[in-house]
Amino acid sequence: MLYELKNIKRYYNGRCALSINHLAIEGGQIYALVGPNGSGKTTLLRILAFLDEPTMGEVFYNGSLVAPKMMPFLRREVTMLLQDSRLLTRKVKDNVAYGLKLRGMDPLSMKHRVNEALEMVGLSPKEFANRKWYELSGGEAQRVALASRLVLRPKVLLLDEPTANVDAVSESLINDAVVRAKEEWKTTIIVVSHNLLWLYSVADEVLTLWGGRIIQQGPENIIPGPWKKLETGLYCKTLRDGQKIFVSGEPSESKVISISPSEILLASHGEKSSARNVLRGFVTQMTYHNGDQVRVHVSVGDITLVAFLTKDAVMDLNLHPGMDIYVIFKASAAKWL
Amino acid sequence: MDYILAGIQEAFVLLLSGDEEVYTAVFATLKVSSMSIFFTLVIGLPTGFLLGYTNFPGKNFVRSVVDALLALPTVVVGLWVYAFISSRGPLGNLNLLFTLPGVAIGEVVLALPIVIALSAQAIEELDLSVKDTLLTLGAAGRKLALDILWEGRYGMLMAAVTAYGRIISEVGVATMLGGNIKWRTRTITTAMAFETNKGQFAMGMALGFILLLIAFIVNGTLSFAKRMRQSR
Repeated sequence: MLYELKNIKRYYNGRCALSINHLAIEGGQIYALVGPNGSGKTTLLRILAFLDEPTMGEVFYNGSLVAPKMMPFLRREVTMLLQDSRLLTRKVKDNVAYGLKLRGMDPLSMKHRVNEALEMVGLSPKEFANRKWYELSGGEAQRVALASRLVLRPKVLLLDEPTANVDAVSESLINDAVVRAKEEWKTTIIVVSHNLLWLYSVADEVLTLWGGRIIQQGPENIIPGPWKKLETGLYCKTLRDGQKIFVSGEPSESKVISISPSEILLASHGEKSSARNVLRGFVTQMTYHNGDQVRVHVSVGDITLVAFLTKDAVMDLNLHPGMDIYVIFKASAAKWL
Repeated sequence: MDYILAGIQEAFVLLLSGDEEVYTAVFATLKVSSMSIFFTLVIGLPTGFLLGYTNFPGKNFVRSVVDALLALPTVVVGLWVYAFISSRGPLGNLNLLFTLPGVAIGEVVLALPIVIALSAQAIEELDLSVKDTLLTLGAAGRKLALDILWEGRYGMLMAAVTAYGRIISEVGVATMLGGNIKWRTRTITTAMAFETNKGQFAMGMALGFILLLIAFIVNGTLSFAKRMRQSR
């Protein structure tokens, strides 16, 4: 276990921003933090990045209780890309090399690593290495900021809305680089992102926060709005291919719903069902989950939904990537975040 | 109008002929302003950095006092420093009155609040995200403080240049503490005031051109610092 948080509380000006009884984070996985604004995502990230201490409670890292004086040393292997990350007022290559210099790397290896990190985020070293910090677009600057973290090959990389203010090309490059870090260096990634569809497609675990508490741990299907209220009292979202999703309950401010994968059924035929939602899609990905289950990704319209099936169920359905399938869930299965 | 044009013409003659009286005032100004800005920066920049970087009880009060001192009238500074360095004052035995070092003391007192306030502001305006950025990359302790100082360098440069602008154009302190003694403590500004009163318009003009040139250089540097700071 990489992190263990016990009875954590973090107060700001008397207000409790975070309250977690217990949280365990395993190494080498991608964790997604989801929840509306003010739900405590950034507060949790800052505590995990050792930038902030909880007001009360204990944080264990690699099995050791973290004391304040250990935090500067731990920040050598845990790094974070802040929501409003800044570039240092120096050249791109010096920005990327900054952390390596602190760690005493020799210049030759450093140059190689800097070039590798720049290429990883889609920036040509030849073109960008000698640029000044103000000679970059917003997306390029964010990619340099990410390269400055990736070059460290960190044990843990925490990302707070890494693609919030960047163009589509930069967003895609940043997302790819993050996944590569996990694959190549077994970096543990903990990420907050507005791009829920990407987040959900790459995350091994999803932590849903609400009012500073973790209300759900596990992969979730996150579906953003817009939602239209129907006369029946249900809310409806029309997907790009014309299919409709119906959910009950009253929308939250975020207008985002989550559906647990355990609430989703898959069927090879769209026969009559008591469930309100029967959607047509196709299988895009199948991976093992916790040994005895299979995680099945199904593309429906412009979203991807995930369901957990037993191995037997997969065999019965003769499930395979590319296969047409029906996704079934009740309107009441959705929770407003 | 003719006397203005004649004054300008004569001013150029004085400048181009290397008039000794003009250039003595210019060199006295450069000497005293260099002394002043050196000591102002040596004391002011670390103080301003600490004020902006650290948190301590009463910090807001100290900031308010420093900000209030920005509006310090030059004659008040002249009066108080005069009281200290005149023969009857506590520093009277140093014989600083009517010397360029004496003027420099007054100008340091005048410029210090500018450097302290603006450099503290420069560090505060870097805001937490710069500190957090450095922390997330692994900086700590003295290295962290030095790199925050480096990131605030354009703000610091602005503070230094603003203070130099104040020093170079100052007339009250230079007159009261320097005495405007020809060939010794006469600076550009005191000479301009004195020569104009005497009707030596060309001399005032010549000195004025040099002062304007210095002002342009100072402002050019200030604009550069501002641009670099805003490009963060």
